[in-house]
Amino acid sequence: MKENKKTYWKGLEQLTNDPEFVKHADKEFPGFKGSNSKAGEGDSSRRDFLKLMGFSLAAASLAACEAPVRKAIPYVNKPVDLDPSIPNYYASTFISGGDYAAIVVKTREGRPIKVDGNDLSSITQGGTSALVESSVLSLYDSQRMKGPQVNGELVEWAAIDAELPAKLRAAGNIKIVSNTILSPSTERAIQQFSEAMGEVELITYDPLSSYGITKASETYFGSNALPTYQFDKAEVIVSFGADFLGTWISPIEFAKQYSKGRKISKQNPEMSRHFQFESNLSLTGANADYRTPIRASQSGLAVLSLYNLLAQNAGSGTVSGGSLELPNLARAADELWAQRGSSIVVSGSNDPNVQIVINAINELLGNHGNTVDFSRPSYFRKGNDERMNQLVTEMNAGSVGGIIFYNCNPVYDFARGSELAEGIAKVKVSVATTETKNETASLVQYITPDHHYLESWNDFYPRRGEYSLSQPTISPLFNTRQAQESLLKWAGINTSYYDFIRENWQGLFDSQETINDFQEFWDRCLYKGVYTEPIAAPSEDESSPAILTPVGDIGTAATALSRDNNDAASGPELVLYAKVGIGSGAYANNPWLQEMPDPISKATWDNYVTVSQKWASDNGLKMQEGATKLANVTANGISITVPVLVQPGQAEGTIGLALGYGRTEAGRVANGVGVNAYPFLDTSKGHVSYDILEGVSIELTAETYRIAQTQTHHTYMGREFVIQEATLEEYKEDASAGRYHPEIYMDGEFVKPSKISLWSGHKYSQHHWGLAIDMNSCTGCSACTVACQVENNVAVVGKQEVLNRREMAWIRIDRYYSSPEGASSNQELEQAADNPEVTFQPMMCQHCNNAPCETVCPVVATTHSSEGLNQMTYNRCIGTRYCANNCPYKVRRFNWFKYHDNKDFAGVNTPQNDDLGKMVLNPDVTVRARGVMEKCSMCVQRIQAGKLSAKRENRKIKDGEINVACAIACPTEALVFGDLNDAQSKVSQLLKIEENTLSANKEVNEERAYHVLEEINVSPNVWYFTKIRNKDKNEA
Amino acid sequence: MERDKNFILGIFDDEDILLNAVREVRKAGIKIHEVFTPYPIHGLDEDLGYKRSRLPIAAFLFGLLGTTLALTMQYYMMKFDWPMIIGGKDYAAFPDFIPVTFELTVLLSAFGMVGVFMISSNLKPWAQPRIFDLRSTDDKHVMAIDIANNAALDLDSIKETLKNVGATEVNSKSFE
Amino acid sequence: MQVTSSVREPLVTGGKTYKDVTNDVSRQVEGKPSVTWLLGLAVSVGALLLGSLALVATLWEGIGMWGLNKTVGWAWDITNFVWWVGIGHAGTLISAVLLLFRQKWRTSINRAAEAMTIFAVICAAMFPIIHMGRPWLGAIWALPLPNTYGSLWVNFNSPLLWDVFAISTYFAVSLVFWYIGLIPDFATIRDRAVGIRKTIYGALSFGWDGAARTWMRYESVSLILAGLATPLVLSVHTIVSFDFATSVIPGWHTTIFPPYFVAGAIFSGFAMVLTLMIVTRKAFNLEDYITIGHIELMNIVIIITGSIVGIAYITEFFMAWYSGVAAEQYAFVNRMFGPYWWAYWSMMTCNVISPQLFWFKKIRTSIAATFILSLVVNIGMWFERFVIIVTSLHRDYLPSSWVMFYPTMYDVGIYLFTFGLFFTCFLLFAKFFPVINMAEVKAVLKSSSEKVK
Repeated sequence: MKENKKTYWKGLEQLTNDPEFVKHADKEFPGFKGSNSKAGEGDSSRRDFLKLMGFSLAAASLAACEAPVRKAIPYVNKPVDLDPSIPNYYASTFISGGDYAAIVVKTREGRPIKVDGNDLSSITQGGTSALVESSVLSLYDSQRMKGPQVNGELVEWAAIDAELPAKLRAAGNIKIVSNTILSPSTERAIQQFSEAMGEVELITYDPLSSYGITKASETYFGSNALPTYQFDKAEVIVSFGADFLGTWISPIEFAKQYSKGRKISKQNPEMSRHFQFESNLSLTGANADYRTPIRASQSGLAVLSLYNLLAQNAGSGTVSGGSLELPNLARAADELWAQRGSSIVVSGSNDPNVQIVINAINELLGNHGNTVDFSRPSYFRKGNDERMNQLVTEMNAGSVGGIIFYNCNPVYDFARGSELAEGIAKVKVSVATTETKNETASLVQYITPDHHYLESWNDFYPRRGEYSLSQPTISPLFNTRQAQESLLKWAGINTSYYDFIRENWQGLFDSQETINDFQEFWDRCLYKGVYTEPIAAPSEDESSPAILTPVGDIGTAATALSRDNNDAASGPELVLYAKVGIGSGAYANNPWLQEMPDPISKATWDNYVTVSQKWASDNGLKMQEGATKLANVTANGISITVPVLVQPGQAEGTIGLALGYGRTEAGRVANGVGVNAYPFLDTSKGHVSYDILEGVSIELTAETYRIAQTQTHHTYMGREFVIQEATLEEYKEDASAGRYHPEIYMDGEFVKPSKISLWSGHKYSQHHWGLAIDMNSCTGCSACTVACQVENNVAVVGKQEVLNRREMAWIRIDRYYSSPEGASSNQELEQAADNPEVTFQPMMCQHCNNAPCETVCPVVATTHSSEGLNQMTYNRCIGTRYCANNCPYKVRRFNWFKYHDNKDFAGVNTPQNDDLGKMVLNPDVTVRARGVMEKCSMCVQRIQAGKLSAKRENRKIKDGEINVACAIACPTEALVFGDLNDAQSKVSQLLKIEENTLSANKEVNEERAYHVLEEINVSPNVWYFTKIRNKDKNEA
Repeated sequence: MERDKNFILGIFDDEDILLNAVREVRKAGIKIHEVFTPYPIHGLDEDLGYKRSRLPIAAFLFGLLGTTLALTMQYYMMKFDWPMIIGGKDYAAFPDFIPVTFELTVLLSAFGMVGVFMISSNLKPWAQPRIFDLRSTDDKHVMAIDIANNAALDLDSIKETLKNVGATEVNSKSFE
Repeated sequence: MQVTSSVREPLVTGGKTYKDVTNDVSRQVEGKPSVTWLLGLAVSVGALLLGSLALVATLWEGIGMWGLNKTVGWAWDITNFVWWVGIGHAGTLISAVLLLFRQKWRTSINRAAEAMTIFAVICAAMFPIIHMGRPWLGAIWALPLPNTYGSLWVNFNSPLLWDVFAISTYFAVSLVFWYIGLIPDFATIRDRAVGIRKTIYGALSFGWDGAARTWMRYESVSLILAGLATPLVLSVHTIVSFDFATSVIPGWHTTIFPPYFVAGAIFSGFAMVLTLMIVTRKAFNLEDYITIGHIELMNIVIIITGSIVGIAYITEFFMAWYSGVAAEQYAFVNRMFGPYWWAYWSMMTCNVISPQLFWFKKIRTSIAATFILSLVVNIGMWFERFVIIVTSLHRDYLPSSWVMFYPTMYDVGIYLFTFGLFFTCFLLFAKFFPVINMAEVKAVLKSSSEKVK
């Protein structure tokens, strides 16, 4: 060990990715060879795991020496020298194309094991998403590129550096294809490269394109800016198919804003009203107060009609074609008009014409500068569909000399991927820099793998005035090199990218006065992870005054719209969308994302065509336990066979299909999961269109299929003891509206269930941990479920076991549809309404004070702590499953098989099977053995850590210092965790717990707070807040 | 059992005749060593003048022991040795202790009594009983009279009496 | 001495003498095994081996081999457990309760019935162990022993732990009761046998000599054991029913369970005894000992218990409706009309309707009908447990976790295994042990049989 340390110290003096050193590190790291050959069989033993720990320690000393000394500053006041078992936190930035999140990386012994949100960011404000939470696992994907390759042969970097630049020069006419680049330094690196190389063009596209918006603002305002939306400032929100809580542009940020407008209390009983007009039932639509299912072909006209309605109000001229009668549209118009300036209208359409009208509407409403801010443009989407389109043509024409795919995968995720694939062959020199193998990289000559973002230095400029940094939290696991550095090297510049960034930040340093030493400025920025320019000085590259003045008119757009979208359209229309978990599919090889149930359909490990209930009944299709039929879907002359999922809320005449599946070169986990829907995308109008209006057909085949859904019963059967909801009006009259108060008859009177007990109950003299969950804030985004999986080493079980109804999730989000109006019989209640109201209810162990599970365990394997926690003692558990049977919330999970180190699960449960994957495991949490029960522990390891640090510093625990993984991840602060014995804690305040009592059964005075299943008096430590909808009457 | 090696056996077919015979024989002042029957004959023990068995008392005492053991065990384990909060109940939730208490009472009572029975009747796998007449486990009742024990009377008169009271056979048996 | 009514049917027909009794019963033990017996044994052992494949696979791979899931944590395993325990009630009940009530007709069936009890309890006891995720630990940890670190004991609040005590006590006491009864008969066989058999049965007979003094003690022992076993029998299924009754799950949380389970147990137990008796009497031609009279009496018990069970089913529904608890009401509606309606209605037909046929003397006294109905009843009782366990669990409080349960071949295989085990044991017993309690039959022979000598 001592020797090793020495070598590392030596290795440290050089740059961490010195090949010499990396080779050495590889030898240190047992999983490396294994991950080539053996991991597939997953036959690694306990011994391997110990060896791995050995490596971790080595890596630890490395990270410890490296990070603090001169390159990184711990996020919180941790000892600079790393202590084993004491985590270090580093501020960094998650980035995947234009998807952005400011994060804090938790490392243990030098291994990044968890990603949390960075509260200091003014954009994501500490929120995360499932994608961000899961990204730490893709770092340890054993199928990442092991090193640079030439025509599939592993080579040394030196070899490539020697030949590639010359070849590129020779080839000439170099195109760099990329998704949106948020990093100014990267852009400068590319600039440097093009200066050195001559004719180089950067072509940007986005798998989930917002070209329509930028294009529209160009025509409408003369500046191709993507505005900054502020849903928190909006009283009325109207969205035409924009899934801004799920997948649209910057969902974490929008969810954060949105929830601000949705939180209500007695003091502030006002909330925004949200209208949604869409074809598929999106996460956003599920949260809307008024949702109107519309055909895709109507969306453009709907926007026009809204414009006309508003124009009438404004007394300005209307345009032709916009005379569509839609439920709630007129009402939306009136309320928008009433809330001029504090309302917002958005559309998810990628059609510039639609976006032009949207601009006009927001202009009409005076929202520009308020809720839609062009003065602080965002840069999340820079893609140019038309240019990308041309490129494909040029490539096939053979006019492209060299092409570099910078961390993108157009062969898979661009509309004309297959043509592009053919084009690559016609290009003289083709290079890909992706860190993982993918459909594009597998076709190019040179693969020069980039670091994973957790191994890289980088800077980002997501919005005017807002900067952020990312820093390495572990030294590179493989023989990879940062793409920017490669570009610089090929351009003949031998500076490290780290220094390169610092040079660029010199400018920022000069532009501020507060700190006058660059090193200090840098360290502070690195420490915080984000930096906001004092005054957002308009930089020269774009010209956008505070309020833009319209230059274009919408007449042409209007006519174009009414031409393209004929309301009378007959045949089915295909609406392609992205799932909240998998998104564009770039991270499809991440089993956590694959097993995350889709927030709406609750399906895992698959995509499927969603059809309306009417279509299903017309075609005699009935789903039971996920059993369904396959159908042939045909569009743009392409036909694929895909399972059908009956989706309440799906607009009649439309079908939906998710992108991001059907990967072929992603790796063991993702390959062959679902079907690839990108080829359906239509580029005929220049922009990439996600709505296919013509030439779509779908017919059922006889073949049956089972979709692995974690929830197959979709209504709550009118059970008030589960879901309690009310409308805002009702709430204003009576704060306890919608509450259900069960009473039990005893000794001649009706009493609260909690009043009846054989036992006096216990007292929690120290702490009493509790959780308050606001069903109004929960958007169902499922970031918490992945966060929990990461934090607690929850096993991935794969599709078959999900089909067997054995998923291991500790926290799930129950999604309930409302039954049709007036439903009373059980049969009726079991049906979902055609356009249902949706309620999301996060469900985890309720930590009951009178826990039914504890009583029945014959071997006291589950008991109650003196702090109100329901504890599970894995190594005492003998697996009778009696506790799970007797759990009224069904949150206990049983290890039916050995999920770790088991070749049967190696293909899906990578974090517990292959050696590299195991590095992501949280060392504070046991990996459960076969045959034991497990469940939410309220992150007891975090509670323990917090108590210990408080004890070490000999002080009381501060509220908020201890928090559970799900609550931290939640972008909407729907979950609030804290000490119920501490009257000052946020959770006590929320629940209005009356002072005094240390008793286990707390009395809460918040009218909205309720216990699920209050009548059985298990006295949970988790409270739910009634769901309040901002609508006139409850259709539930 | 050194003394009594030599016996006179009266073999009877019918239980009623046997019962009567037992009474007659004892009236005649003959001391009966033991009567061997293939099945239990009610009243035989009274007629032979045996005292009532005290096994019920043993059963009761063992049962009592079981109850106390069960209760003390549960209280000790649940309340004193390692009290744990289980389902919000008191550490010693008495109602939950009843079933186990009952079971242990029955268990100890039954096994205690049977144990005593085995010992008192010298029943054990390796026991070598003295078989007076093999048919005594089949269809005959055998009355054994210890000659040494009835030294006062002469053998013939005993045999005579047996015949008179209805013994189908009268044999003599001696063990070496 | 004994109270006997002259109008009563003779318990033993065919004018048997004491000698005949001995001969008829011992013949089975002494003679060569019959072909039918060997055939039966072959089949049973076959089932045993086949089933053991499923058992081994489950122990090796994990409980995941079964059809269970996150919501339905028990299904076939505990269904089979309760079913076998239920069957295990008849023996002790017949010998103990009927002994207390001085029901002489018990004498010729109690031996086999008790044997059946013991084997049934063995089969039952298997399931609580193998259904554990970690049986190798659970089998030990479920006992009140301190864990390796000292004072971690068991949880006396858990009905599952009560089961451990109830089942083991019941098994132990039944075993003793049964063996005490066997001792005199072993002695009989011993005294007829020669050579190695003599030594074996000599050891088994514990040196019994049939002395009046021993008989006296024997009598009071069996009387007290009967006195103890009677409440024990009732307690066992009561405690088994606590597994469900003390829970919070709608459909389980029912105070009516104890009496209802006990009645059901006697019901199924008697049915199983009939099944076996009818076969045994034919195979070993013991028609004179196990007469139509016996069969009829047992059928009457079946009518009664069957009706009690039926009433219990109806009462449950009434309580569900009367409670006003939505989840409870749904649970019962779901039993009748939910996805598992077929299980519910097979239970109703088999348990409530079919036994009512025994009101007709013709059916009651017909061997064939009795045999078929006895099988039907046990099928019904299996479904009763399935209905209670699975249909209550699969749709409980939160609709989000409602699921279906589908058994796998491993569920079936392990059930088959227990059948193999049961019949193997029973056949061995029938061959090598006296299937009828000779001593007791002889004791009632005179008073109840038309002619002796």
